[in-house]
Amino acid sequence: MADDLQLYVDIKNLPVPIALLDVQLNILEHSHRFYDFFDFIHQDKRPDTLEGLIGTLPKSIASLKKSKGFVDQNIKEFVSYISRKGELRWHKLKLYPNKANKQYYAYFDDITKDKIAFDLSQQAAQTAIIGSWEVDLVNHKIFWSEMTRKIHEVQEDFEPDLETGINFYKEGEHREKIIQVVSEAIENGTPYDVELIIITAKGSEKWVRAIGNAEMVNGKASRIFGVFQDIDKSKRERIKYQELDNRMRVALESVKVGIWDFDIENNKLVWDENMYKLYQVKKDDFSGDFEAWEKTVHPDDKEKSLIELQEAIDGTKNFNTEFRVKTQEGTIKHIHGFGKVFRDKNGKAVRMIGANTDISRIKKADNRLRELLTTTEKQNKSLLNFAHIVSHNLRSNSSNLSMLTGMLLDDTCPEKRERFLEMIKISSERLDDTVVQLNEVIKIQSDPNVNLQWVNVKVGLTEVLESINAHLEEIDPNIDIQIGDNLRVHGVKPYISSIFLNLLTNSLKYRKPNIKLKIVIKAHEEEGYTTISFKDNGRGIDMERHGHKLFGMYKTFHGNKDAKGVGLFISKNQMDAMNAEIEVLSKADQGATFLLRFPNHKKTTA
Amino acid sequence: MKVREVFLVDDDFIFREAAEVLITSSGLTEKVLHFENGLEVYNKLVELSEAPEHLPEIMLLDINMPVMNGWELLEELRMEKSVIRDYVQIHILTSSIAPEDLNLSKEYEFIDGYITKPLTRADLKKLSQSVVAEE
Repeated sequence: MADDLQLYVDIKNLPVPIALLDVQLNILEHSHRFYDFFDFIHQDKRPDTLEGLIGTLPKSIASLKKSKGFVDQNIKEFVSYISRKGELRWHKLKLYPNKANKQYYAYFDDITKDKIAFDLSQQAAQTAIIGSWEVDLVNHKIFWSEMTRKIHEVQEDFEPDLETGINFYKEGEHREKIIQVVSEAIENGTPYDVELIIITAKGSEKWVRAIGNAEMVNGKASRIFGVFQDIDKSKRERIKYQELDNRMRVALESVKVGIWDFDIENNKLVWDENMYKLYQVKKDDFSGDFEAWEKTVHPDDKEKSLIELQEAIDGTKNFNTEFRVKTQEGTIKHIHGFGKVFRDKNGKAVRMIGANTDISRIKKADNRLRELLTTTEKQNKSLLNFAHIVSHNLRSNSSNLSMLTGMLLDDTCPEKRERFLEMIKISSERLDDTVVQLNEVIKIQSDPNVNLQWVNVKVGLTEVLESINAHLEEIDPNIDIQIGDNLRVHGVKPYISSIFLNLLTNSLKYRKPNIKLKIVIKAHEEEGYTTISFKDNGRGIDMERHGHKLFGMYKTFHGNKDAKGVGLFISKNQMDAMNAEIEVLSKADQGATFLLRFPNHKKTTA
Repeated sequence: MKVREVFLVDDDFIFREAAEVLITSSGLTEKVLHFENGLEVYNKLVELSEAPEHLPEIMLLDINMPVMNGWELLEELRMEKSVIRDYVQIHILTSSIAPEDLNLSKEYEFIDGYITKPLTRADLKKLSQSVVAEE
């Protein structure tokens, strides 16, 4: 009795859900927590049987009840029921016999959470297609889990052994590999984790991941076990991706695209192989920070590139630019850079990934195209001038000839016959002169790569002055030459002589009638140019009125009957052909200054 | 229809001389006055505009000339008293076959014709007919 009383008291105050049942499984006593455990609050609705509490009884407990007598047996069961709150609950129920009173203690434990976790892992194994296996090397027993069988596509009653298991692996490298790793596991206990192809019982190829471990007893493997995963889908995708990646690599290499990845926060710059080739930097020489890149950028492009990079990081502009780099060998490469900025959730730039393309060749072609375009534009302009000449001087003389011959044939004015013939002679001579001049122009324009050489200015000038000395004696101008004996310009000697001659005869022709002609010829050098100037005190040119057409064909400005206007046009063409410039500063009645500007770019090679 | 006088403005003396023979022999006029450039004829026209009956009925005007070319003269005339423009029929007579020149001539509404050299009898016939038409 004392025992019972003690038990009775204990049950009531035990902090666990526990009840005392009779052989018919009616609830006799219970702990305070018992009904709370089942969510019963009101006393009247509490069921007083085990069945009423959890519904259908598990088999073992149902047979206990059926036997109608006391059974001295520990029973452990998992029970599930829908709680009063509508949830599925899992409980572990333990029945302990109380021999003395022929009663049972029923103890419940809530395992719902564990059950869910277990289910999930089951599900996970199902989803991930993971099976397990085990080989007992002592008893030569082999075990495959259901999933392992499924992966091999064998019947449920299939009985594998170590050899058949290995024979599933595809002949060749795959089978050789599994034999090697399993042997090593058995001999040395080396674990393995390999990805190989098996041929299933149904004949399909499948990528699997086989992980194995050995249990060693006295230095000998007693058991090997492991897991087995169907990775066919992911592996094939990975292989496909790898192929794609390889293809991309080939593509990137062929177009000389390098990929870079810059960790802004840690100042870590990672380059792919192509970048090293592009920048001609050895991998070992690259320090892997921003400054390493900055060092390679051409000094003239550095500031611009840094600004553009900062703008990209600030988010005000995309990084899409061109810059030059100077390689260690000293070659200059044109790079097109494109980059994308990645930001954290606060918008802070943390990383930048981009591509660099070598566009040197494109750039070169582009520049060549530009040069061609400029040349073409120049030539077009000349052609327009050419058209003007054709229309004016050629046509005016040929139309004269046509009119005069027409009148001769019609006998329009017999008494003027001799005069007409004379006029025809003059017109044909003029036509001839014009053709000679045109030939001159075409010669200059059709030879874009004239042979430039260093020409001594003073020597050239002296020669020209000598060639017109008869004319000079007659007019007797004051010519002041302020040019050093050694001054040279890069040009074509006959052109330079022709220009000098033209400018000098212009000064002689358009001198003021009552003032002694004074010509000053000077030279000075600045910023890569040598400028030769011819200044006179002649009649000058009204620049406002004539400036724009000064160097055009057949423009004359002095009312001089001899002026044919072709001289300056030819001079201008000759200067163009030498990459030099001609300019005039003048006012009507105040003399003229012609400036000849020659570039000095090849002075060092002279 | 015969006119009293024609002004011939051209810097090429060969052309002037040949054209004068052609004009007089065509019967358009017996009096052809020569001018070497725009400025010379401008001064003469301004002088004659005081007595318009002495202005020529026709002026043949070259474009490409030194000192003052044809366009420059036309610009000056545009600014002048309308009597010159009203009284004188102005015909461009040029060796230019450039369309720009022909287009430019259309900007002067007081120009009566545009002849491309060489000057022919047919041109002169048309000229004399246009004078009839105007009168």
